[in-house]
Amino acid sequence: MTGKPETNGNAIEIRDLRVDYGDFVAVNDLSLTVPYGEVYGLVGPNGAGKTSTFRVLATLMEPTYGEVSLAGIDALEDKESARRIMGYMPDLAPVPSDLKVREFLDFYTHTYALGTRNECRSRAEECLEIVSLTDQRNSWCRELSRGQTQRLVLAKTLLPSPKVMILDEPASGLDPLSRRELRLSLQAIAHEGATVFVSSHILSELAEMCSSLCVMNQGQILASGTATEVRNQLGRAERQIAVTVLGPRDNIASWLASQHGVLEVTKSEQHDQRVILRFTGGDHEQAALLSGILEQGVAVKSFEEKSSSFEDILVKIAEDNRRQEGSPDEN
Amino acid sequence: MKTDSALQHQAPFWAIWANPIVRRYARSRMRPRALGISLLITLMIAGFLFFVIRQVGIYQAELSIRDAHRMPIIPLLFFQGFILFVLGSGQTAAGMTAEADEGVIDYQRLTPMTPLAKVVGYLFGLPIREYATFLATMPFTLWAFWRGEVPLHIGLQLYGVFMIAGVLYHLTGLVAGTVLKNRRWAFLSSMGLVFALYTVVPQASKLGLVYFKYVTIEPVVRESLPYLVESRMGAAAQTMENFAPAAQFFNLNFPQSVFTAGTLLFLIGTMVVMLWRRWHRAESHLMGKAGATGLFAWIQLMLLGNALPLIEPSGRVFLSHGARYFQLEGGGWSPAAGETLAMSGIYGLVTLMILCLMTVLITPDRTSQIRGWRRTRKLGRPKLSFQSDPATSFPWVFAMAAIGSGGWFWFTKKLVESAWFGTTDMPIAILPVFFLVTAVGGFGFHALLEGKGKRAAGLAVILIGIAPLLVGVTIGATGEALVPLAVWISGCSPVAGPIYAVLTFLPLSNLPPDFERTIPRAFWFWQGVGLLWSCKLAIQLRRSRIKIATSTQ
Repeated sequence: MTGKPETNGNAIEIRDLRVDYGDFVAVNDLSLTVPYGEVYGLVGPNGAGKTSTFRVLATLMEPTYGEVSLAGIDALEDKESARRIMGYMPDLAPVPSDLKVREFLDFYTHTYALGTRNECRSRAEECLEIVSLTDQRNSWCRELSRGQTQRLVLAKTLLPSPKVMILDEPASGLDPLSRRELRLSLQAIAHEGATVFVSSHILSELAEMCSSLCVMNQGQILASGTATEVRNQLGRAERQIAVTVLGPRDNIASWLASQHGVLEVTKSEQHDQRVILRFTGGDHEQAALLSGILEQGVAVKSFEEKSSSFEDILVKIAEDNRRQEGSPDEN
Repeated sequence: MKTDSALQHQAPFWAIWANPIVRRYARSRMRPRALGISLLITLMIAGFLFFVIRQVGIYQAELSIRDAHRMPIIPLLFFQGFILFVLGSGQTAAGMTAEADEGVIDYQRLTPMTPLAKVVGYLFGLPIREYATFLATMPFTLWAFWRGEVPLHIGLQLYGVFMIAGVLYHLTGLVAGTVLKNRRWAFLSSMGLVFALYTVVPQASKLGLVYFKYVTIEPVVRESLPYLVESRMGAAAQTMENFAPAAQFFNLNFPQSVFTAGTLLFLIGTMVVMLWRRWHRAESHLMGKAGATGLFAWIQLMLLGNALPLIEPSGRVFLSHGARYFQLEGGGWSPAAGETLAMSGIYGLVTLMILCLMTVLITPDRTSQIRGWRRTRKLGRPKLSFQSDPATSFPWVFAMAAIGSGGWFWFTKKLVESAWFGTTDMPIAILPVFFLVTAVGGFGFHALLEGKGKRAAGLAVILIGIAPLLVGVTIGATGEALVPLAVWISGCSPVAGPIYAVLTFLPLSNLPPDFERTIPRAFWFWQGVGLLWSCKLAIQLRRSRIKIATSTQ
């Protein structure tokens, strides 16, 4: 690994990374690679080790051991070079209370030595435009809403045009509109050639945004690849489907219970014409199931996927963790 | 968008005016309204001090124009010291903590500025308003210097050292702000630290630890005083100054201003290294093990170098030597044995305290030890690197105890064997006793800190170090009959160790009958207990380290 950034190979390479806090192992021999130009997602429940991994990547923390390379630069040995090509946005990104928006950005354009005063200003304006904050340039940082603050910090992160962006839960605390704007901003940035490594505990959101992702739990990677690959690797591609029919539901409920991929059928207590099934089949199987119901001569009022399988995966992982923590064997 | 090459062109660390952190604080702390109010208040106070003292000088005391203009110089200097030393240091510590508290310090860590440029940026950026208000007082000082006909070199020497001291005190605040978590605590404790380190600790110079006076601007003020006050007072100051003309470091006779500046610059360098280490790697100890041991040895050298030449023939190292000018009776002067014993005891005590401070700086906590061992195992190495942060600090504490007891013995030997006490000899057998006292205190503290953590060590300092002394003194003050009990209780504290050692073993010691038996017995008993306890802690620590080492295999 050299001090000059590479442009072929992988943007991020992590090998045997371990982070300990006393006896607690936050990241346990983690290895992963992220190719150039990808929006790569890291998902996991609280305490999975996402933030520790990101802080090591961002050169803010020394790991117990391991190797981290950003665009070919050894991030643990040559921190200053790594910092030149990397942008980091922390979880619940803070801003200084005593500066205005443009002063905040001006400051960082100077710390990155982005050129003359005019060049610095125009770069700050460009970044404000990308995150749609141009109108707020004279506002105090402390007066911005949560979403605006997140976008301002994203603008700050964009200032030096980083080759690798590390964003820890950038969407946390944002309303749906701000979340959508952020997602669009990140996709635009990736289109320009930057590699974006982003974490979230909202799996479905990352699935929409990322070209690849990995699921992390208790410091280790459970699965990685595209969204479908992750779903298959975890073997828990289970979703809830609510079927509302016109007329009695008993017949169709018993027919559904005998179908391949259906784990369980329950009758809704709130709605006397609705049945809810836990289904593990793929998209084609789901379409075939709907056709089968219609072939049974049942009038279907609605056929609705109630929650994404990704959320279930994460919920199950978190539940398993809690069960393990509560287990007397562990104590 | 700029390219990587543009990012390489950072201003050098010494270009303070181009430092982005300085500029950032110049913006946020120099906003017109806040700055205007600060300047208004400062100008009012400085103007009041200058004019009222000048007018009193001219119209009430009927001094010459020159003398009347000299009179406000010292009050203005105090006011400037308050602005720059007290407020500036507090602001530096609080500002640093605020950055950490708000979480924006992580951004700053990530900017591609060098660690040194970041230290310089915060050092001159955070107290920038205090620098501005300090400058606002300078016209009054310059006017007083001009009309008071103060020689230029005196002004340059005084304010040169004043500014160096300001930087050192701000660095103290910066270190406090880097270590402490709560911003209000950081502000208060840094002001307390600056006050203690540079006002209280230098008082130890009167008890033989002459070096400590050079961490203040006092020697330079004293040297300059004949030119800063009215003629009659100036003549008196000159007479006093003639008795202590130079810093006689191992008889090398440095000018006071030069030695003070050198001392302050050395401390500045030390603190910059501490901050550089933290900026370079957030998990680093403030000092490396070899560096801390070297600093400890350096302090011993400074203490001895400044004290030994003043023992004889002048006897200026003794407190009573200075006090004799205020005594009306004539006759010759010679130091009292009790004073000499106290000086030796205090030297030992200060050595022990500095040893404990260094131990805090270099001792790893449990997490650091576990991480270090896991890293070592991963790299396939059999053991931790001797000088690495996670390695035990035991050998270094041992080395410091040896150096410290050696320095203490040398200082005491020179005192006891000086011409003031005839042909008294200092037996070499006392050296192992001094080592025992230093080592028992040092090892016990180290083993507790490394094995049980900072809280246990802090609690031990309060319950074993301080509480027995307070109880002992209270009991002793109750009545003479309880004095032996008080001696036994106080002896439990390692702080009493050096004093008891000196009273027990020094040939000059002439204890009253009550103490003659009690102090040596209490000394040996508590040293024995301390030794056993330290050994037990050391064994526990070794087991704990072995457990960590094996659990990480």
